[in-house]
Formats: sequence, C-alpha cells, structure tokens
Amino acid sequence: MTTTTPTPRAAPPRRPRRLLFGNRPTRSPLLRALVKHSVMIITLVLMLYPLLWMVGASFRPDNQVFSTLGLFTGDFTTDNYRDGWTGGDQLNFSRFFFNSLTLTVLCIAGNLISCSLTAYAFARLDFRFKKTLFALVIGTLLLPYHVTLVPQYILFNQLGWVNSFLPLVVPKVMATDAFFIFLMVQFIRALPRSLDDAARIDGCGHWGIFRRVIVPLSIPAFGTTALFTFINTWNDFLGPMLYLTEPGTWTVSQGLASFLDATGQSAYGSLFAMSTLSLVPVLGFFIAAQKLLVEGIATSGLK
Amino acid sequence: MKENVAGGAGRAAERLPRPATQQPIAVRGRGRRAAGDNRAAYAFLTPWLIGMAVFTIGPMLFSLYLAFTRYDLSSAPEWIGLDNFRRMFTTDPRFFDSVDVTLTYVLWSVPLLLAVSLGLAMLLNRGMRFLTGYRALFYMPSLIGGSVAVAALWRQIFGEEGIVNKALAAVGIDHGSWVGDPGSALYTIVVLQVWTFGSAMVIFLAGLRQIPQELYDAAAVDGAGPVRRFRSVTLPMLSPLVFFNLLLSVVNAFQAFTGAYVVSNGTGGPSDSTLFYTLYLYEQGFAQLNMGYAAAMAWVLVLGLAVFTGLLFLSSRYWVHYGDER
Amino acid sequence: MRIRSAAALATAGLLTLLTACGQSLPDHTEDELRGQGEVSGDIRFSWWGSASRNERTNAVADAFEAEFPGAGVKREAADFGNYFKRLNVQGAGRNMPCVTQLQARTLGDFTDRDALLPLDPMIESGAIDVSDIPEAVLDTGRGPDGKLYMLPTGAAYDALMVNETLAEEAGAPLPAPGYDWEDYIDFLRRADAGLPDDIAATSLRGGLPNFFIAYVQGRGENMFDGNQLGFSKELLTEYWQMWQDITEEGLTNSPAANSEEPTSPEAGYLAQGDVLSDNRPGNALTPAQGTLDGAGEGQRLTTLPLPGGPAGPGNVLITSGMAIPRNCGNVPTAAAFIDFWANDERSGDIYASDNGAVTNTRLLQRQLDDPELPDLKKRELTLYQDIVENDPPIVLYPPGYMAVFESAFTRAYDDVAFGSATVPEAVDTFFAEANAGLAS
Repeated sequence: MTTTTPTPRAAPPRRPRRLLFGNRPTRSPLLRALVKHSVMIITLVLMLYPLLWMVGASFRPDNQVFSTLGLFTGDFTTDNYRDGWTGGDQLNFSRFFFNSLTLTVLCIAGNLISCSLTAYAFARLDFRFKKTLFALVIGTLLLPYHVTLVPQYILFNQLGWVNSFLPLVVPKVMATDAFFIFLMVQFIRALPRSLDDAARIDGCGHWGIFRRVIVPLSIPAFGTTALFTFINTWNDFLGPMLYLTEPGTWTVSQGLASFLDATGQSAYGSLFAMSTLSLVPVLGFFIAAQKLLVEGIATSGLK
Repeated sequence: MKENVAGGAGRAAERLPRPATQQPIAVRGRGRRAAGDNRAAYAFLTPWLIGMAVFTIGPMLFSLYLAFTRYDLSSAPEWIGLDNFRRMFTTDPRFFDSVDVTLTYVLWSVPLLLAVSLGLAMLLNRGMRFLTGYRALFYMPSLIGGSVAVAALWRQIFGEEGIVNKALAAVGIDHGSWVGDPGSALYTIVVLQVWTFGSAMVIFLAGLRQIPQELYDAAAVDGAGPVRRFRSVTLPMLSPLVFFNLLLSVVNAFQAFTGAYVVSNGTGGPSDSTLFYTLYLYEQGFAQLNMGYAAAMAWVLVLGLAVFTGLLFLSSRYWVHYGDER
Repeated sequence: MRIRSAAALATAGLLTLLTACGQSLPDHTEDELRGQGEVSGDIRFSWWGSASRNERTNAVADAFEAEFPGAGVKREAADFGNYFKRLNVQGAGRNMPCVTQLQARTLGDFTDRDALLPLDPMIESGAIDVSDIPEAVLDTGRGPDGKLYMLPTGAAYDALMVNETLAEEAGAPLPAPGYDWEDYIDFLRRADAGLPDDIAATSLRGGLPNFFIAYVQGRGENMFDGNQLGFSKELLTEYWQMWQDITEEGLTNSPAANSEEPTSPEAGYLAQGDVLSDNRPGNALTPAQGTLDGAGEGQRLTTLPLPGGPAGPGNVLITSGMAIPRNCGNVPTAAAFIDFWANDERSGDIYASDNGAVTNTRLLQRQLDDPELPDLKKRELTLYQDIVENDPPIVLYPPGYMAVFESAFTRAYDDVAFGSATVPEAVDTFFAEANAGLAS
C-alpha cells in the first residue's frame, strides 16, 4: 500500500459513492466540485443571513442596532459584549454559562444512561405488557407539556426542590423524555439481531449484549441523543424560569430574556452579542458530536 | 463476529431490493428466551418505571381530572362534568380558529421539513470535501431555536423593511410586511420551522451512516441508477428513521408553540392568524386561568394524535423495515 | 409485580398532588398580620424588568440587608410577560414570594382569589408608613372591598409622545394644554400635510387599551361596572370608527406594520423616526430618545398628556407596587422591606423612578432637586406631577383585565383594521367575549 503503484481499488472507474448524482459522466471533476461548492455556499449564505445579521448587529452601538440596513454597517463597537457579559453584580454571564453547562452535562448523562437502558428493553426483549408500556411511552409524547406543568410544579414544590437543579435533572435520570426512548428504540431496532445472537453464543447475558454489542453500535444514537439534549437544555426557557428563580442560578436563556422588557429599558445590542456567544458552546458540541455521528460505524468494528 | 456481520451484509446485498428485511442467522430458542426476558426487561426498565410513576403518570392523570373541572390555579378544582368540552365544540370560535391554524401548519411544515432534511442529509453524507464544515453550518439555524432574538431576526427577513421585501423591491414588486399580515404570518412560521431542520437532518444523517456501503456497491454492480438505488437501498434501510421523523414532526407540529410564541410575542396575532393550538391552550391556562379548559383542550389533542399515531403505526407494517425482523 | 407497584406509586403521586391543592396556608398571629415582630430571616422578593432594572433593584435589596443585618432578601426577576405566568404557577403551589411586585391592572387577579394579605393593619401599626404617598395614588392599590392589598411604589402613565423636530418641520404646532381628541386629530392632519410620504402622523393605536381608557375618561363614562364593561357600545363604535376614518385619510401607518412593531420602546417606530407621534408609556421617553440619537439626525422627542374630553383630562395612573401573599411565612420582614422600599432615601435614590415615578412625594422631590437629573427624566417626573395634580380618576380593574379585556380588545380592533370585520361587528364580538370572560 505504501508504494506508488495505484491499487486496483483507487483506479478508475471511481467507486460510485454518491447517492444521487454518482453516475453522471464526469467530464471535469474540478468543474463539478466548483459548481457543487458554489451551490452549497449560496444556499448557506441565504440560510445563515439571519444569523449573520445578528452577528453584525452585535457589533453596533445599542442605539443603531435597528437603524442601519446593511449587515456590517454603522459604527463598530465591542461594548455590547462587555456590557452584556457583566450586566451587574449578580447578573454575570460567566455565571449563567456555568449554570447552563452544569445543567446540560447532568441532563445529557441522565438521558444517555436511562433512555438507552429503557430503549434496549423495548427494542430487544420480550416481556409482558410490552405493547401497552410502549404505547404509554408514545402516549406521553402526545400530551402537550404545558398541561402537566402545574401539577409537576406542585409536586416539586412539595418535595422542596424548587430553586434547585433537581426538578430539571431528576426526571431526565428517570427517562421521562419519551422522545429519546423512541429515538433509541428506532436506532437499536435497525441493528441486525444476528449480532445479539452471536454474542449470546459467546456467552453474553442481556447486560453483556447491551454493553458489548448495543452500546458500541449505537454510538450514532448516543451522539444524537447527547446533541439534542444539549440543545434542548441549553435553549430551554420555561423550565428554568419556573424552577431557577434566583438570578444566581439562572441559565443563559434566562440571561438573554432579561435583556428585554416591554416596560423598561431593553438592551438589544447586548442581547445579540450574548446570543451570538451562546451559540458557541452548542456549535462546538455539534462539531465534536458530529465525529461520533459520522464515525460511529467505522470505530465500532462493523467494517 | 466481524466475519458474521460482513457476511450478513454481503448476503443481504445480494437480495436487493429488500435488503434489510432478512437476516441470515437462524432463529432459535425464542420461547425459552421470552420466558427469561421478563425479569431482565423490568430490571432495564426500572428507572423509567419509577420516573413514569412519579413524574409523568401522576401529573397526567391529574390533568385528565382537571379536564372535567373548573380550576383557576388557586381555589380547589370544581367538578363540572363535560362543560369544558361542550364549550369547546359549541361556543368557542377561537378553538376552531386554533385548530384551523394548526392543521394548516401541519400540512405545510411536515412535508417540507422532511423533504429538506432528507435531501440535505443525503447531500451532506459523503462524496464532497469540507463536509464536516458544511454540516455544522447547515445545522446552525437549529441551534438558536426559540431564543428571544428570533422575533427580531424574523422581522429583519419578513418585516416591512426586511430583506425579502428589499429583494422584491429590486425587481419592482412592492409588498407590505409578511409577519404583520394575517394572510402570511403563519407561513413565515412554517419557514421558521423548516429553517430549523437540523435535528431531523442529523437523525437522517446518522441513519445514512448505518447503511453498509456494500449494499450500494452491490446495487451498482447490478446496474442500478441513482433513483433505483435511492428507492431500493436508501429508503428501505432508512425507513425506521423516516417513520420516526414523520411521527415526531407531526406530533411536534401539532404541539408547535415556541415559534409562534416568540414571533407573535405570545399573542397568536395578528388577528389570531398564528393562534396555534397549544398557544391558545397556554393562554387559557396560564393567562386567563382556565386551567380546566386548558386540560380539556390538551386531552382532545391527545385523542386526535393518538388516532393519528395509531394509524401511522398500523401503516408502518407495510413500509418500515427493521433490522431485527426475521 | 412491578406493574402493581408502579401503579401504587402512581396513585401515591396523584394523591400527593390532590392534597397539595388543599395545602393549608400558614396561620398568622394577630401581631404578624400587623407586621409586628422581629425583622430577621429570609424573604423572597420578585419583580419584573430587564437587566438594567434588575441591577437597581438588587442594589436596593442590598441596602435593605445592610440596614437589617439579620434579614436576607432572595431575589426573583423575570420579564413582564413571563413574570405573571410564573406568579400564577407559584400561586397554584402556594409558593408566591413574600414580597411580590404587582400592577394595579393585575391586582384583581390576586384579590379575587384571596391570595393577598390586607396591608391596612400594618399601616395602622406603623410597620408601613404611607404618610408621604398621595391618597389618590394610594387608592389604586385597593381591592373591590376597599382594603389596601398593594402598596403603590411607582406610578406610570401613558403619554402622547411626539417627535418635536418632525412636527416643526411639517409646520404643525403641538396641541395646546387641555387639548381634546378633535384637536389631536387636527394636529395629525396638519402634520400629515407637511410630512414626507414614508412617515405617518401616528402609529395605528385603535387597538391599544390604554388609549381607549383615556377616551372613556374624557367622556366621563366608566371603564368597568363590577366584572362587566361599564362603557356603552356606542362609545366604542364611535372610537373605532374614528380610527378607521383617520386610517383611510392616511394619517396612520399600516395595520401590518403596526402589528410587527417590537414592544420595547427603544425598538418602536417612534424611536426609529418612522412615525411622528404615538401613545407610549411616559417613562419610555429616555430610551426612545436614546435610539433616535443613534440615527444621528438630531431629532427630539417630547411628551404631552393624553387628549381629554368634556368630562376632563384623559390620563389615568398605572401604578405598580408591593404585595404580601397569604402564604408568606415572614410577614414582619416583608412589611419592613416594603416600608424601606417606599420610604427610605437610599431606595428612592438608587431606584431613581425606574418603573414609573416614585409615589413617595418626599423621595420624588429629592430626585427633582438633584442637579444631575437628566432633562428627559425630569420631563417624565414633572408630567407625572401635573397628572396627579388633576386628581386622575381611579380605574378598578376586574380580575382577568389583562388576559381577557386587553387581549380581546386588541384582537377585535385588528379584525377591523385588517378588514375582516366591520366596526359594529367587532364591537359586538368584543362585548360578548369580554363580558363572558370577565364574569367567569
């Protein structure tokens, strides 16, 4: 493989890898790549326009945020980042970021562990009431969450959990997020059962199959779950607003909301600046998790 | 084990066009296993069962009870039988407005969202440079989600002075605000939903990565064109996730809340044109303090969705192919 | 087995919830109800506002803690819209903060549910001093039974905010003091003649409840009669017809532009220089002028009282204040905090009338005497003084005012503005919806 002779595999005709346009005659690969990338970039600019506008606005003085028309026009300032970050003694974004990150990590751990266990049972095991219980999982997806908000609040208040992370984290540890159970069930069911059987022959019990076969092969599902939990938790506003009332326990989304108020002085510049910053951790996580999503199969020994 | 899998995939590939439905290893001892599964299954289910009992079932049953009461969030609930439901279907025109808005939204947003997310997932799957970067960039709109900043951003696009109107003005078309007009406001929220297609795309992408390349290679050897490969390899292999995304996007669309809440500032305006079902439910429960009525609305939605998902699950037998089927 | 135990757990959970609803409130002693007792221990305090107000509020709470070393204030803030939704949920859990900020417009929601303690015994005992608050202002905190449930600490008002520079350029002199609705429309007409085409004389405000309240006051009718609308259908028909007429005349901006307008004052059209005049909260003058300065054209805003009518001036006061819920377990400290907030000079100076003019006349005078008080803030406060001098009428807002009345009012007018209903149809719909909603 280290020699200069092309291996038969690399020789033309190229392996047809593309799903849609793979079979077209390729007169000039360079030209084609160029066209493809241009289309991608134009689509992207259109799609990202709102975000670009936001970034532009975050560098404008507060009182020019809406008054100029272009993306990066108006006076340039970084004040919004400074003012927004240190909104006051109690209201500091480093605190909000810390709170959000802590909450997010706890929720991700809770969801990954509890939902994968649950999903394994539903996807692979046969037991009594399986259909009924799975219908219950789906059933909980159908009820709008607003309507259980009040009973849950009363419950958590009785437990003395209000003003702590507990009402937001403990339910995750207990697999109450039916979406992720369902997601993992779908992923696991897509895996060939022959793998379980092979492991069984090797002497694995259910726990062994789960740990040695299902978990490694479900890395993409784990990545997806972690990513979505990250985004949901990071952006969640209603839950933290109800349960994390003291500014010292606020999350980023609450901090962002506190820049706007219809009855007083709002700070749109700071809002856009901190909104821009708040995208950074999620984006970073996406890029990191993407490796899991994409390389999941390759690293799991399937190939 | 590696051998087994590779062999399995190879053999499956020979059996196009339904590669995913058959697995080579023989079934054995199913009865014996089923008996042994009960204990193991409930062990795996323990966290979920506890969570279900404590955090979910209680509040759910409580809300079911509330649906038959008048409850202002403060005094004890007062039993009024079917009055809430009667009022919903006879004397509340806004209820039907909200159903109308929500159905329109579901019919537009679900197909668009699925088409866009599947299409982009396939484009971004392989065969191009900088894919990692592209994926991250295409995912970015989904990160901002329901942030308070979205309302301001949407005005920059669909407002009177927004970029859309500037583009139209450049070709000589004069149009008023899109978000502020009752005729178009709902569609700007459809666009908002489709714009945040990232989650569905990621699920498709992860699913696409699970399809063994050998299947495509085998199909290519058989001389299958791109359309045939899509229909006979991609779609069947991806069908569990298409099913998942379809079900979830329908449920989400029926429960859509955040987009309209943020863009209309919680009012469902202008003129109730974005009064989504759950937005109206929220207004009834938390602003007008008719929590009993809100609970009744919620359970009507649950019933509607249950019928729908039931039908979807029934239909899934005919078009969804699982790797665990024998 | 497990199923059965799960079912048992579920039942237990449900029972907990049901009993929670009947959860008992603390039994307050006679002394506690009078606000007497040791000022120590923690209280929770909640308010609405954005970051800049949160900062001031925190500083006042810090000053209180410095004054009473044994007492601690746990703070809870949210923006106006979400604030009341959260309060409702907290109310359901009997978990409202000991000192809860309310607005006179929302007071009815809480007195109706008997969620608040009357403050009168605490005033009698001297725990809360109200001697520096004008009677007319204090009365806005009373419930339908005449007892005081909210101590008004800040008084806001709506004003006609005008871009003076544009009016001058258009050759339209500002309406003279004591002007009425006809004068107001004349002003719009004259201005419109001289304004550039893309600047409307006023924002379309037919759906703004506060503006209509001024109209009702000028006519001497009542807003409410108990839990029902107090004004006549004819009056509302006339009012909305007036708005339709001036819309057709081209004096207003479009309904679509109007409905996409951001709610915060500094992002609104008046602040962008896109309209000449608007009905805005009086304390929006400073932020709105700030945005206008950013445009760099040197335009200036000013505020006028709202138009009056044959029965007198139109302005009413919109007060906010502090209340103590029945579930509060530390009434003496709560009372001391309210007293500190309403009377202490540090509180007045730090808060600087951020949410309406401070109601304590002594503290207000201190702010006015401060040579460093910015001109615009001074204008806000002096206009408040003018309005109070006219002894503004007090509106007793029924429960559900904001959720039912305001939302139905805006919606019904939107239907007119967008052409999906005629004025009489919209009036009928509105009366039916508002009366039914307020009664329940």
